[in-house]
Amino acid sequence: MTTAFIERSNRALADRNLKLAIDRTTGTARTKRAAAVAAWPQFESARDLGRDIKDHVTANLAHYLSEFERNAIASGAHVHWARTAQEACDIVIGICRAEDARSVTRAKSMLGEEIGLPHAMADAGIERVETDLAEHIVQLAGDTPSHIVWPALHKTREQVRELFLAHHTDPGALATVEAMVSSARRQLRQKFMAADIGISGANFLVADTGSICTVTNEGNAELTTTPPRVHIVTAGIEKLVPSTAHAMSLLRLLVRSATGAELTQYTTFHCGPKRVGDADGPEAFHIVLVDNGRTKMLTEGLAEMLRCLRCGACLNHCVVYRQIGGHAYGGTYPGPMGAVLTPVLDGLPIAQDLPKACTLNGLCEEVCPVKIPLPAMLRGWRERAWRDGLEPQTIRNGLGLWRFMVVRPGLYRLATRIALPAIRLFARRGWIRSMPLAGGWTRHRDLPAPAARSFMDQIRSQGR
Amino acid sequence: MSQARDAIFAALGPSQTQSADILRHADALLDRVAALRPNRVGDDLADSFLARVTGPVIGASGQRVTGVESVPDAVRAYLLAQDQPPSLALQPHAKLLSLDWSGIETHHAIAVDEAVAVCFAPYAVAETGSLVFRSGADMPVLFAFLPLHHIVVVDAASVVAWLEDCAAIEASRATPRNLNLVTGASGTTDIEGALVRGAHGPAQLHIILVDPVLPPAEKLPSHVPATPDTSR
Ligand code: SF4
Repeated sequence: MTTAFIERSNRALADRNLKLAIDRTTGTARTKRAAAVAAWPQFESARDLGRDIKDHVTANLAHYLSEFERNAIASGAHVHWARTAQEACDIVIGICRAEDARSVTRAKSMLGEEIGLPHAMADAGIERVETDLAEHIVQLAGDTPSHIVWPALHKTREQVRELFLAHHTDPGALATVEAMVSSARRQLRQKFMAADIGISGANFLVADTGSICTVTNEGNAELTTTPPRVHIVTAGIEKLVPSTAHAMSLLRLLVRSATGAELTQYTTFHCGPKRVGDADGPEAFHIVLVDNGRTKMLTEGLAEMLRCLRCGACLNHCVVYRQIGGHAYGGTYPGPMGAVLTPVLDGLPIAQDLPKACTLNGLCEEVCPVKIPLPAMLRGWRERAWRDGLEPQTIRNGLGLWRFMVVRPGLYRLATRIALPAIRLFARRGWIRSMPLAGGWTRHRDLPAPAARSFMDQIRSQGR
Repeated sequence: MSQARDAIFAALGPSQTQSADILRHADALLDRVAALRPNRVGDDLADSFLARVTGPVIGASGQRVTGVESVPDAVRAYLLAQDQPPSLALQPHAKLLSLDWSGIETHHAIAVDEAVAVCFAPYAVAETGSLVFRSGADMPVLFAFLPLHHIVVVDAASVVAWLEDCAAIEASRATPRNLNLVTGASGTTDIEGALVRGAHGPAQLHIILVDPVLPPAEKLPSHVPATPDTSR
């Protein structure tokens, strides 16, 4: 593995606060999801349906894209197309400039992070106000999100308190989490109302109405998209669904898998600009449809990944994510889904470690609401890295040696018979705290001592 | 940017399937929904709805009153119980405007830090405990997001069973700028996963479910069919 990833992981593993913070949020998420799923006996068939809806859209993407475009335009929206992250940012910045926007509010969107919108806006000198509480924390800290549903999951309440004391105009004592939330509420209220433009993402693009759907628990999306003159949406082209009814089926799966609720507090379908006579709403509505590698995924055998609802369940259940958190992955998307997506977005040479940092225990696929075969896709990247010659020579040699041994069972057994007692010399009460050549493992955890005799030996003696 | 559009469509290739077949397949997918929905709706839809919204997961408060004329009294009682002054933002909906609000100062322009707002929801969904709002001249979107206390009036007879019923109702009408499904008060779990209410939107949601006043001789039928308010 490359040193950058190892360094980031080591730093994360050494951070006790981080482990605590990850455990608190993902633990609650796992418990709540389990309860929601247990209360829905047909969950398995619902997952099949979710998978089939998404696959149906992927198979007919051109049809649904043009239907969506037609209906969105008919509703008064402006539809823009972007092949790359750069093109998408240019379009958004272009609209901001044309509108002479000084202040822009933004409701959390992973697509926005993926295309680097925060950076692009900073470079263009446009004030960006993140309105999702977690994104607000991340922005104040000058940080990046570490989870796709809980971007500030890596921050403890003490760290949030420090940030708010330093940055909020009227923070008060901030003795409790409640006080921190209301301080953020006060801080952001005026920003919502004063913004020239509001930017959101979309959880779904509804083809037969031209609507886009957002889901939030806080209500910040609607406060972001209603008061300003202009609402801009950035969305990946895979977010399409045929109709509102199809969106409902996916919402049932998405929300339970993400937070364990049945529906988020605010599920809103936005269609076109405000109508004549409407009491509020934006005068202009822009939708930027972004490819950024998605059509390539279709042709490169990664179509199944386009089902992803960005629910975060695979992160919450991943034994690797739960140890190293999101930042160690080094991309926009962490965890199992990130390990599949980042090689597409950043290139395999840069991201080749991510598919390898996986135990292939299969939990991610088990919890994925649209049954994405994440482990198989990660294995696919590993094979690709091997074929492309990205593995360092030491690994290739090591694997060559391994292969030499396993195809010669007699030799392999002899080697284990010699190695076992040697390894056990380092064990104390069944655990190895350190051992030559195993530092990478034992620095942050103990290694279980192997059994005195190999599996094959035991079988043979029992057989007699 | 039509260059980008062309490139994306070129990458996707020409459509392999006839539009009619795609449509048929999309409909067939929906045929599977009824058999696998979580079975959480009882015979009395209004009861199911109220139980869901006031249950531990959503945690809103709610009450049933008879006759829309009883709504202002219910609101007065709520304000008193919540220690709120008798002043509120009233959604400019005909149904609410026609009521006697004496003793309460009402206004129709909602303030940025409004304490209390009263809204009328055209219908609600029993399955999820969601209130449905459709933006328009008489429903400003911000009424559901700015107040600290959000009081919502909804007719018991307008409660529909499933999210698909909501989709069907909307499919038959002109799409508004915003269709808002509100399910409980605003909340966040962004700091250490701890749930805190009133993140940006309302901290408290109170629902007043209105049963019709029946003529004295008649008895309440055991099952009131759902007739969502489609007047707007
Ligand atoms: S891959 Fe599946 S589990 Fe992971 S975020 Fe996407 S939909 Fe959720």
